[in-house]
Amino acid sequence: MNRASGLVIKDLNKSFGDVHVVKDLNLTVEPGEFLVLLGPSGCGKTTALRMIAGLEEIDSGSISLGEKDVTNMLPKYRDVAMVFQSYALYPHKNVAENIGFPLKVRGVEPEARDAAVRDAAQQVQMEDLLHRYPRQLSGGQRQRVALARAIVRSPSVFLMDEPLSNLDAQLRGYMRAELKHMQQEMGVTTIYVTHDQIEAMTLAHRVAIMNDGRLQQVGTPNQVYSDPINLFVAGFMGAPPMNFIEGGLNSGKFISGDIELSLVGDQEPGPVVLGFRPEDTALVAAGTGLFDATIYTVEHTGEQTLVTIQVARKQLAVKMPKDFEASTNSTVGVQFDPSAGYFFDQSDGARIRTCRLQAGT
Amino acid sequence: MKNERSLMTQLFEPPAIGKMAPATKIVVYTVLLSWTAFVLFPIYWIIITSFKSAVDVNRGPFFVPWVDFTPSLHAWKELFVFDWKDTLQAYFNSIIIALSATLLCVGIGSMAAYALARVEYKPKFGSIVIFVLSMVGAFLGVGYLGMDWRLSLAVALAVFFFLVKALSKHFKASVGNGDILFWMISQRILPPIVVVVPIYMMFQSVHLLDTHIAIILTYTVINLPIAVWLMYDFFVSIPKDLEESAQLDGATRLMTFWEIVLPLSRPGLAATTLLVMILSWNEYLFALFLSTSRAQTMPILVAAMNAGERGILWWSMSVVIVVMIIPVILMALLLQSFISKGVLLGAVKG
Amino acid sequence: MAPSGDSETPIRPGGVSPAGSPSDRSIRVRVSEWLDYRHGTIFIMPAVVMILIFSIFPLAASLIIAFSRIRLRAGGYQVRFVGFKNFAKQIFGSEQFHFLGAFKGISVLGWVFATVLISLVLWWFFRWMRVRFNVLGFVGRLFLVAIAIGLILMIAATVLSGTRFGTLGTTLFYVFAGCSVQFVIGLGLAFLCSQPIRGKTFFRVVFFVPLMITPIGIGYAFRMMADTTKGPFSPVWQWAGLGDFAWAADAWTARIFIVIGDSWQWIPFIFVVLLAGLENVSRDQLEAAEVDGAGRWQIFREITWPQIAPVAATVMLIRVIEAFKIVDLPNIMTSGGPGIATESMSLHALFAWRSLDLGQSAAIAYLLLFVTVVMCVSFFNLVVLDRVRNT
Repeated sequence: MNRASGLVIKDLNKSFGDVHVVKDLNLTVEPGEFLVLLGPSGCGKTTALRMIAGLEEIDSGSISLGEKDVTNMLPKYRDVAMVFQSYALYPHKNVAENIGFPLKVRGVEPEARDAAVRDAAQQVQMEDLLHRYPRQLSGGQRQRVALARAIVRSPSVFLMDEPLSNLDAQLRGYMRAELKHMQQEMGVTTIYVTHDQIEAMTLAHRVAIMNDGRLQQVGTPNQVYSDPINLFVAGFMGAPPMNFIEGGLNSGKFISGDIELSLVGDQEPGPVVLGFRPEDTALVAAGTGLFDATIYTVEHTGEQTLVTIQVARKQLAVKMPKDFEASTNSTVGVQFDPSAGYFFDQSDGARIRTCRLQAGT
Repeated sequence: MKNERSLMTQLFEPPAIGKMAPATKIVVYTVLLSWTAFVLFPIYWIIITSFKSAVDVNRGPFFVPWVDFTPSLHAWKELFVFDWKDTLQAYFNSIIIALSATLLCVGIGSMAAYALARVEYKPKFGSIVIFVLSMVGAFLGVGYLGMDWRLSLAVALAVFFFLVKALSKHFKASVGNGDILFWMISQRILPPIVVVVPIYMMFQSVHLLDTHIAIILTYTVINLPIAVWLMYDFFVSIPKDLEESAQLDGATRLMTFWEIVLPLSRPGLAATTLLVMILSWNEYLFALFLSTSRAQTMPILVAAMNAGERGILWWSMSVVIVVMIIPVILMALLLQSFISKGVLLGAVKG
Repeated sequence: MAPSGDSETPIRPGGVSPAGSPSDRSIRVRVSEWLDYRHGTIFIMPAVVMILIFSIFPLAASLIIAFSRIRLRAGGYQVRFVGFKNFAKQIFGSEQFHFLGAFKGISVLGWVFATVLISLVLWWFFRWMRVRFNVLGFVGRLFLVAIAIGLILMIAATVLSGTRFGTLGTTLFYVFAGCSVQFVIGLGLAFLCSQPIRGKTFFRVVFFVPLMITPIGIGYAFRMMADTTKGPFSPVWQWAGLGDFAWAADAWTARIFIVIGDSWQWIPFIFVVLLAGLENVSRDQLEAAEVDGAGRWQIFREITWPQIAPVAATVMLIRVIEAFKIVDLPNIMTSGGPGIATESMSLHALFAWRSLDLGQSAAIAYLLLFVTVVMCVSFFNLVVLDRVRNT
């Protein structure tokens, strides 16, 4: 039963006392889309989610679900289902009763209810544990019950508040895949809040990155990763994060300390930040790269080598193949493709697209 | 596009989550404020009665000072100027007794509760039976054979120790911590009237009637179940690691209890102290039986205002009641900063 | 720990090495070690000893008194063993009207009442037998059924048949009627206070105040307030035409008056505990239920109530235990009157003591203890444990 609706959020604002937690949020979610709200703690993503659910009052702005304006509607009328970070299972009800609760409050007949409960339990592989109580379940099992409770109503929208954060790493990976598969099968519009960029990258159709109450960038995982709109997004996505070197643009060159790189395109002189990703970078013989650096540490992880280099008292990360060797404090050259270099305005963090590195220095 | 909300919806449905519908608000506040009036009115009546002259009290109800009647300090003067010795003595007695009984009760109760929470007891059932039988023997000796109670008790204890030493190998069944805890807490079921006469006789035989110590000991015991119950629930919820770490560092049990466990239990201690103090401060029956003149407490003073032939001195009585509330409020204010709402719940999870 | 002492005194872990002669140290250390070794006994002994001396011993002594007749003779007491005479007097003998009530045959209403309730009790008993039979439970429940039938008959034959019941009936009235009212109001207030209202702290504080006032003070205060000529409500009584109505002269209005005073005093206790319980229900669960579409009543019935039921059972057990002991209020407010209408069993025992019949007093006190224990153990087993077994 797919009744996927889209979601339109316009100029949403919310303050708690003096703290302005959500600032002018504008977002459109397509029907059937898996949208991830990503950001560090305190960025307002959970508050935004709760406003969509109707659990927080909106200071200004509007939210529409499909054709309906739900801005002032009570949660029970919005036809959304939510999976809480703490799962919020009712401890005195068993699994079947927990899952069936949304149907029970709507007055669904017991037989129809049982069928729907069994169906939802099957989808999360909990059909054998219907008589257990939450305290008898593991974390992963509880999470699946919470999920089943959300599914059983076939709502228009799923809301999920960091549902995987209480699980251990291995289980998290497994549940991620399950979630993605399930969402694609059911085609329900899903809004998923997390601070974990891996989850965002792997699950989302589109990612909406928030910081300090403001939406930074919305786009496909690839877009926000390869084409960041500002310094924050560039630095947030990627592990290890993007390397940044501060310097200045002047007469066709990027200058920072001993580093001098030629540029093409229009440039306004001023302070900028040069960014490049660890995996786009290669270490070459000293003097043969874009600039030189000294080796700080070399860490072998088995599948690759993580090298920390030092440039003018700043430490940067480089990913090298697993057989790379170098001794501490030796000098190496840093090389990356011009298209892998990003420039950002130092004052407001905005991405500068008008210039880039010249090929072949 | 805003939703049209019918008048019914606007009145009876909450406008948003975390808020109440207007109709609900009216009902809720009406009920709560009515109950507030019900609670505060008797207190208000007592307070103004303490400022009324005898004539004003007897002539019919007057409600507002300076409007209905002229407030007078005569009752206050009676109690604090003319009869100040009696009043102050009762006050003094009450304070001494309540403080001592509370300290003793919470102290002994916490120790017992801590022991029950941490130490595993397994007294043999058979030993308990022998103890009971020896004591019954002692009673019968005193009651029906007219033996001196000291002799009887000594003999009974001797018999008990001897029999236990001899027979304990044969006893298998034992009672556990839960049973001991239940035994202690169930003492609260005893209606005071059941034990008051023997306790009276007991104190009489050691010439301790009308003393502070008699009432203090009695209050300690009647409130021990409460102290043990509340503190037990509290101690059980403290993680053992802290105590184990202290013991590894070489602390004795007593040191661990005093230095580590008690400071962590401040909310529980505060709640228990407040409760036991209120109960000891306000108790009447035992104080009535065990005191005659020197050890009389404030509740006795209240009852004394029912002067028989002269009728009830409502005005003076009200003064005493008012004056009794003040220290309780002070104690509550003092302790409430320690009490968190979680304490009470933990205590009655049962 | 800095080492101290001379080179000959070894440093003991966990303790500063005390100065002084070897024999000194070993005694002090040995004592503290012995105390620590025996800590299990030492911690619990004070409580055990005190309870034995001031609770168990008097209890036993009281039992002996209950089986005796005590006369004051020159130079002391004379104690004469009379067996169950004191008890028999209350149940079958000359004091029966005082304790159980006046029996003059059972009215129709009484028969109907008795039949209905006794059949319910028996139905409950046989249903249990069929479902979960075990010897201990059988004996316990049989005992309980016998007592229940006895009480039902007592009520049917007295109050419902035009006569009055005695102190046993009055005490049961105070306990059941009083505690039910107190529970409902206490829960209601707690529920309202847990809603999003303003002034929560104010209400919390104000509602707690009655617990701080001495019970006999409350008794006298209510007596003052209920006076139909001098009390604050006398204008209301006059206006309603009840100016001459002596509420203290009618058995049931007097009893209700006591229940009002008792409720004023004890509802705060129930309120405070239940409020704490309500506030401990996880907010996430309530929000989840809201999102799932449950209405306010559904949320209370399905989510909140099951989680506060254990707390409610415990607090009511405590309340019922205390309610059986009620003595100050009936004593002060009505002196047990009119006649014996408001006399609780505790007060009955107190009056018997005052008339120097110590044996009677102890016997009545023991009957009260018996009834209390039966009620509380049943409540505990049937309500509290049942709940624990089922969750």
